[in-house]
Amino acid sequence: MPAEYHELHGNHENANLALGGLQDSNNMTANMYRVGDYVYFETSSGSPYQIRRIEELNKTPNGNVEAKVMCFFRRRDLPQTLIMLADKHQSGMDESLSSNNGSASSAGAASNGSSIGNNGSTSTGFGELTAKQRHQMKHRELFLSRQVETMPATHIRGKCCVTLLNETESFLSYLNKDDTFFYCLVFDPAQRTLLADKGEIRVGSRYQADNISSAPLTLAERETDRQDSKELETLIWTPRHSLTDRQIDTFLVISRSVGTFARALDCSSSVKQPSLHMSAAAASRDITLYNAMDTLHRLNYDIAEAMNSLVPNSGPVLCRDEMEEWSASEANLFEEALEKYGKEFSDIRNDFLPWKSLKNVIEYYYMWKTTDRYVQQKRVKAVEAESKLKQVYIPNYNNKAGASVQPTSGGGIIGQSTIIPIPNTNNPANGKQTSVSIINGSSNGDSALLLGGNNGKTCEGCQTSQSPQWYAWSTTAQVQCRLCQTCWSYWKKYGGLKVPSRMDEIDACERNRATTGPGSDDEGKSPGSGGPQRPHRCSVSTCGKEFKLKAHLSRHYASAHGMDFRAGNTVATASGGQSAGIGSHSAGIGTELELLKRNPELTIIPCNVNAGSPRPVMKTRSAFYLRTSALARAARRICANQIRSRHAARAPHQPINAAPLRHICSSPEFARQSPAELRVLARATRPRLRPRVADIASRLGNHPQPSQPGEWDWLQLTAPGQRKQPEHVSFPRPPKAPDGSLLYERVPNKSDIDGINVTPPIPPTLQVQPNLKRPRPQFDELNGTDGIMPITLPLSGPPPSKRPHHTTSRDVLPSPSGSVVNNSTGPSHSMPLNGRPHALQNVPMSRSNARKQVMSWMDAPDDLYFRATDQTKKARRNLSLIELRRAARKPWRKLANPQRTARPDDMVVILD
Amino acid sequence: MSQMQHSRKRVCYYYDSDIGNYYYGQGHPMKPHRIRMTHNLLLNYGLYRKMEIYRPHKATADEMTKFHSDEYIRFLRSIRPDNMTEYNKQMQRFNVGEDCPVFDGLYEFCQLSAGGSVAAAVKLNKQASEICINWGGGLHHAKKSEASGFCYVNDIVLGILELLKYHQRVLYIDIDVHHGDGVEEAFYTTDRVMTVSFHKYGEYFPGTGDLRDIGAGKGKYYAVNIPLRDGMDDDSYESIFVPIITKVMETFQPSAVVLQCGADSLTGDRLGCFNLTVKGHGKCVEFVKKYNLPFLMVGGGGYTIRNVSRCWTYETSVALGSEIANELPYNDYFEYFGPDFKLHISPSNMANQNTPEYLEKIKSRLFENLRMLPHAPGVQVQAIPEDGANVEDIEAEEKINPDERLPQRDIDKRIQHENEFSDSEDEGDGGRRDSRSYKGVRKRPRLDKNSENPDAEVKKEDESKPDVKTEIEKDEKTNTNNDENKKDGMSSA
Repeated sequence: MPAEYHELHGNHENANLALGGLQDSNNMTANMYRVGDYVYFETSSGSPYQIRRIEELNKTPNGNVEAKVMCFFRRRDLPQTLIMLADKHQSGMDESLSSNNGSASSAGAASNGSSIGNNGSTSTGFGELTAKQRHQMKHRELFLSRQVETMPATHIRGKCCVTLLNETESFLSYLNKDDTFFYCLVFDPAQRTLLADKGEIRVGSRYQADNISSAPLTLAERETDRQDSKELETLIWTPRHSLTDRQIDTFLVISRSVGTFARALDCSSSVKQPSLHMSAAAASRDITLYNAMDTLHRLNYDIAEAMNSLVPNSGPVLCRDEMEEWSASEANLFEEALEKYGKEFSDIRNDFLPWKSLKNVIEYYYMWKTTDRYVQQKRVKAVEAESKLKQVYIPNYNNKAGASVQPTSGGGIIGQSTIIPIPNTNNPANGKQTSVSIINGSSNGDSALLLGGNNGKTCEGCQTSQSPQWYAWSTTAQVQCRLCQTCWSYWKKYGGLKVPSRMDEIDACERNRATTGPGSDDEGKSPGSGGPQRPHRCSVSTCGKEFKLKAHLSRHYASAHGMDFRAGNTVATASGGQSAGIGSHSAGIGTELELLKRNPELTIIPCNVNAGSPRPVMKTRSAFYLRTSALARAARRICANQIRSRHAARAPHQPINAAPLRHICSSPEFARQSPAELRVLARATRPRLRPRVADIASRLGNHPQPSQPGEWDWLQLTAPGQRKQPEHVSFPRPPKAPDGSLLYERVPNKSDIDGINVTPPIPPTLQVQPNLKRPRPQFDELNGTDGIMPITLPLSGPPPSKRPHHTTSRDVLPSPSGSVVNNSTGPSHSMPLNGRPHALQNVPMSRSNARKQVMSWMDAPDDLYFRATDQTKKARRNLSLIELRRAARKPWRKLANPQRTARPDDMVVILD
Repeated sequence: MSQMQHSRKRVCYYYDSDIGNYYYGQGHPMKPHRIRMTHNLLLNYGLYRKMEIYRPHKATADEMTKFHSDEYIRFLRSIRPDNMTEYNKQMQRFNVGEDCPVFDGLYEFCQLSAGGSVAAAVKLNKQASEICINWGGGLHHAKKSEASGFCYVNDIVLGILELLKYHQRVLYIDIDVHHGDGVEEAFYTTDRVMTVSFHKYGEYFPGTGDLRDIGAGKGKYYAVNIPLRDGMDDDSYESIFVPIITKVMETFQPSAVVLQCGADSLTGDRLGCFNLTVKGHGKCVEFVKKYNLPFLMVGGGGYTIRNVSRCWTYETSVALGSEIANELPYNDYFEYFGPDFKLHISPSNMANQNTPEYLEKIKSRLFENLRMLPHAPGVQVQAIPEDGANVEDIEAEEKINPDERLPQRDIDKRIQHENEFSDSEDEGDGGRRDSRSYKGVRKRPRLDKNSENPDAEVKKEDESKPDVKTEIEKDEKTNTNNDENKKDGMSSA
C-alpha cells in the first residue's frame, strides 16, 4: 500500500482556508507536495534522483497518486556535444557577468537586448570560483525540458528548488544552499538540442508602433485631431449632481418596491413567484438598480421626475433579467443542453434554444451558476474531479538500503546464480549497460575480481573511512567504489561527488575525445536515459582497453579473453531493490562451464561485467528468473557449513563472508574436478531413505491381532453422538430449506472470480508527452538570442502556452522511445485477494496520524514488505513463543502489548 | 500611503453592459464575465455613483490600425466561427485559433475593449478627468499583427498612442503576472514611452521580459523588466515595486501613467503563480495614484474570476479614495464569492522563491540601467506643446463651464501641471543649462501654487466634511513635499 495521502482537492472555494489550516506541523508542510513544487524522484536506487516539477497530481482508481511532472535534466544526462555547448554558454555568460562594459550578451548573438554593464562586484562570476566550487556548480546546473512524464507520487524523495539563473545572482548563492539548482538552457530530448529559455522582443517596422512623432501634437494639430469626444463615449452616470446619497438610496428602494408591485400585477410573474418575498427578491436584482440609476441620470437627477417615470401610463416599470425572463421549461432545456454539450453555448442555442440570442444564453448561464441547481451539479462534478489533487502528503522515505554495502562486505558468493533478464520492450534502458545490482547486499563481484575485495577502502568522495553506512557506487563499468553516507546523499541529490574524482578524469578524456571526433554513437539516444556517453572499457584488470561501441567491446572480450560478453544484458535489482540476495553477472551461461575450465576462480565468483551505470535508469525492476548453475549448486554443497544456507535464506539481508568460501572453492582438490564431477557434487547428496508403502502395508498385514487389547481402538470411528463438540464452529451448516436441502450462499461463478483475480494491474505508464510544439513564424534573430540557438536549433521553440495545463489532443503523444512501463507487481502478500478492509487497517502499516484509506483490492497495490528494525526484533524477543506463533498465524490481530517504540511507518517500506 | 486614501479624484469609468456576454469558449480561462461581476460589485458597494460612468464607443478599424496592421484588423473583422475554415492560413499567421480562439462577437469585443481605453486616453488628454478606468482593457499581449495570450487588439498601445498626442512622456506599468510583451514591443524603440513590467519570468508565458531586455535604438533603457519568481507575496512585491517606480518617476518624469492591473498576480489564480492579496495588489495602484499624474487604469489577466472582481472593485475604491467594507454587498453574483463572502483574500502558504537578496540584486541592476537615462528626455522639442497647453486649458475651461462644481483646486492642479511644460519656455531665456538650473526654474511656479493652496482649501471646505479637511490638508502638504523632495533628490543625482 502506498503512503497515505492527505488530499486537498482543487476546490477553489476552500483552497485558501484549507491551506492555512494545514500548517500544523513543520513535518506536515515539508512532506506536503503541491502542484508546482520541484521534487526529487527516485527511479532507481543506485542512480541520482531525478529532478522534476509537479504539474498535476492525479489520483488513480486504485488509490495511488500519480504525478504528471516536467523533466529537468542534469549535466550528466546530456549528450556530450551538448555539454560543450552548455559550457560555452556558461563561459559566455560568465564573461558578460564579469565584464564592466556593456558587451555582447551571453553567446555573442547580435542582440539589442544585450547585457548591460555590470560592475562585477554584485555577482560572482563563474571564473571567480575555486576549482572545487566550479566542480560543484556543475552539479547545480539543470536543463529544463518541455518533456512531461507521469510517475507515481510515492517515488518522491523530497523537495528542491529550481530557478532560472539570473545574471545578477552569484553562483555562490546556489552552492551555499542545499537543494537549490538553476537552469539557463532548455534541452530538447527528442531533437537533442539546447536553446535558451528566452523569448524575444522583435525589432522592426512590423513590430513597433509607427508614426510616433518625437513630440506631442502642436496646437494646430490638436484642433484637427478629434474634437468630439462625444462620439467616443456616452455618459451613463455622473457624480456631479445635487442629490445626496440618502436620496439615491431612497430612490433605489422605491424603484424596487415599484418592481415588486409590477410583478404582482404581471400575471406571468405571479405564476412564477407566488409569494411576495419572491417577487421582492426578483425586484431587487441588479437590473432594477441599473434601471433606477439610468432613470435618474436621464432625468437630470430630478427625483420627482424619476419617480414619475417609474410609473408611466402603461403601468409600473418592470425590469427583468435573463434569470427571471426564462421560463421553467426553458431552464430545463438549458440544463439538459448543458449536460449534452457542455458549455458550447452556440451549440446549445442552435439546438435547444434557437429563440434566444447567444448573449441571452451566456448571461443566463452566469446567473444560473448562482442557483442551487448549479451547486448540486457542482457537487457531483466535484466528486468526479476528485482525482485532481492540489497537494499530496508523502511521508519520509526510510528505505536507506538502496545500494548499501555492509561494512564487512567482500565479494559475495551466495548469489552464484545468473539473472537472466527478460527483455522488456518498453524499457529504454534495455540493450545498454545499466545495472545497479547488489549481491546479497554486498558490492558487486566485479570489485572482488578486480580489486580483490574492497575492505578498508575509503570513501570515494571524501576519503573518510568512517561512516555509519556504506554504499556501493560506480559511474563506469570498470571501477567500483564506495561512498560514505554524506557523499552518498550528495551523489543522490546532485549527481556527482563533492570533489573531482577519478571519474571526472575519465569524463575529461571523454570530453577531449568528443572534441576531436563527432562522438555520436548510437547509444544514449533515448530521451529517457540519454546519459553521457562513456567509453566501453574492458574490465579485465590487466587489459583495460577502451572501445567506442559496446559491440566492439564484446568482440574484444570474446577474442582476447575468451569471455562471452552479452551486450544486451540488463540487470535489474531484485524485487524490492534490497530484498533477495541475488547476484548478477553478465557472463553468458552457455559458456559458463567452458569458462570454468579455464579460469575456475572466475566462475566461482561470478563476475559482474556490467556494474552500476550512472545513467538514470527509469525502471527499477524487470522480470527475471533465477537460474542456479550446476556450479553454484556444487559450491553450495561443498561450502554448506560456511554458508549455512537455511540461515542465509531466512536472513537474505545479511552478507555472507565470501573469503573462506572462495578459499575452499579454489582449493586444489575442488578446482581439479571436471564438470561432470561437479554436476554430481551439485546433486542432492543425501537422498532420504523412505520405506516403500508396500512394505509398510505388508508389515501391518502380518499382525492380524493387536498385541495388546485396545491398541487398535483408535482406528475405530467414534460415533457422532460421542464426538466432542467444538466450542466454536468455524463453518456452521447453512440453514435447511423446507424440503430438507441446504441453503448455500451463492458461490461466484468462475468467470466472476477470473474477472477478479486475473484483472491485470494497469501499469502506471510513464507517458512522455512532448509539450505543445506548434510551428510558429520564424522570428528575426535580431536581439535577445543566444549564440547557441542558431547553431543548435534551427527551429526556435515556441513560447509556452499561456495555459500550461491546457491539453489538446496533440498534447498527448506518448513517445515510444521514452515511455517506460513501471512494472508494478501483482497482488502482494499483504493484500490478500479476498482482502477484508478491516484486515488492511490493522496491518502495522497504517499510520496513526494519517487518514485511513480503503483501497480497491482489484488493482494491484504497490509492493511492500515489513522491515524489521532492531526495536521490532527486540520486541519480538519479548514475546513468548506461543504468542509469537499465534501472531504469525493471525497477522491481522493486534498484539496484546505491542510496545512499539519505533514509529510504525519506519517499518513499512513501500516499493514500487 | 493610507493618507492618500482620502484625496478625491475625478474618476471616469468605462463599461459596456454587453462585455460580460462574450465567451471565449468552453474551458477557456479568459472570462469577460469578470468585468460584469466587478461592475455589479461596484454598483452595490455604492462606488458606481461616485464616478462618471461611460459607455465606450466601439473603436473603429481606423482607430485600431493606428497601431495594428490593416491586414490583421481586416482579418479580425471578417473572421467568425462559421467561416473559420476559409481563413486557415491567416489564422496561423496571426496566431488565432489556439490560445486566442475565434468566438462569436470577437471583433465587437475587441472594439469595446479598445474603445474604452482610447476614450479614456482622450478624456485624460482633455484633462476632463484625473483617473480613467477601463477594466475591459489591458490586453497587453496583442502584437502589431498577431494575437497572443488571449489578446487580439492591444487597447493599451492604442491608449498610449492617444496619450502621446498630448504628453511628451508616458509611463506604462504592468503588474500582470505575465510579461507585458505586446506593449513593450510596440514601444521598444521609442524614448517617449517607458514600459515597466513586473512579471514571472522563466519557463512562463510569453517567455520574454528578461532583465537584459532594456529597449533598442532610441528606446534603449526605456524598457524596464523585473523578472520575478514564483510565490511573490505582498511584502516582497512592495519592496521591489516602490523603489523601482520611485526611481522611474524621478528619472523618466512622465506626464501620464498607464497601469495595467492584471489580476492574475493574485494568490490562487488559475494561471498565475504569485501570492499577492487584493490589498497588496491594490497598493500598487495606491502608490502610482500618489503621483497625481493623469492616470489610466486598465484590466488585464486574471483567471480566478471571483478574485479578479474583488481586486478590481477594491482598486476602483482606491482610485476613488473611498474605503469599502470587507463584507461583500449582495449582488446578482453573490454566490460566486462563497464561502466567506469577503472582499479581501488571504495569501496561501506557498514558498516565496524570491529571496530578498535576489530582489535586491535585480533592483540595483535596474537602478544602474535607469542611471543611463538622459535627464528630461526629449527636452529640445518641448517648446511646441507649451502653446498647446495653454489653449488646451481654455478649451477645457470651456468644456467645464456649465459645471459649476468644478473646484478651484482642480484648476490649480491644472496650472501646476502646465508647469511641467512651462520650463521649456524658460529655456529661451538662456537660464537653463543643466538639469540643476532646470529644476530651479521649475520650483518657482510651484511656490506660487503653494501660496494659492489656502484658497483651494477654502473652496474645498464647502464640499468636504470638516473632519476630513485636516487630513486633506496634510495630504496636500505631503504631496507637494513629496514632489519637491523628489525633485531635490533628482537634481542632486
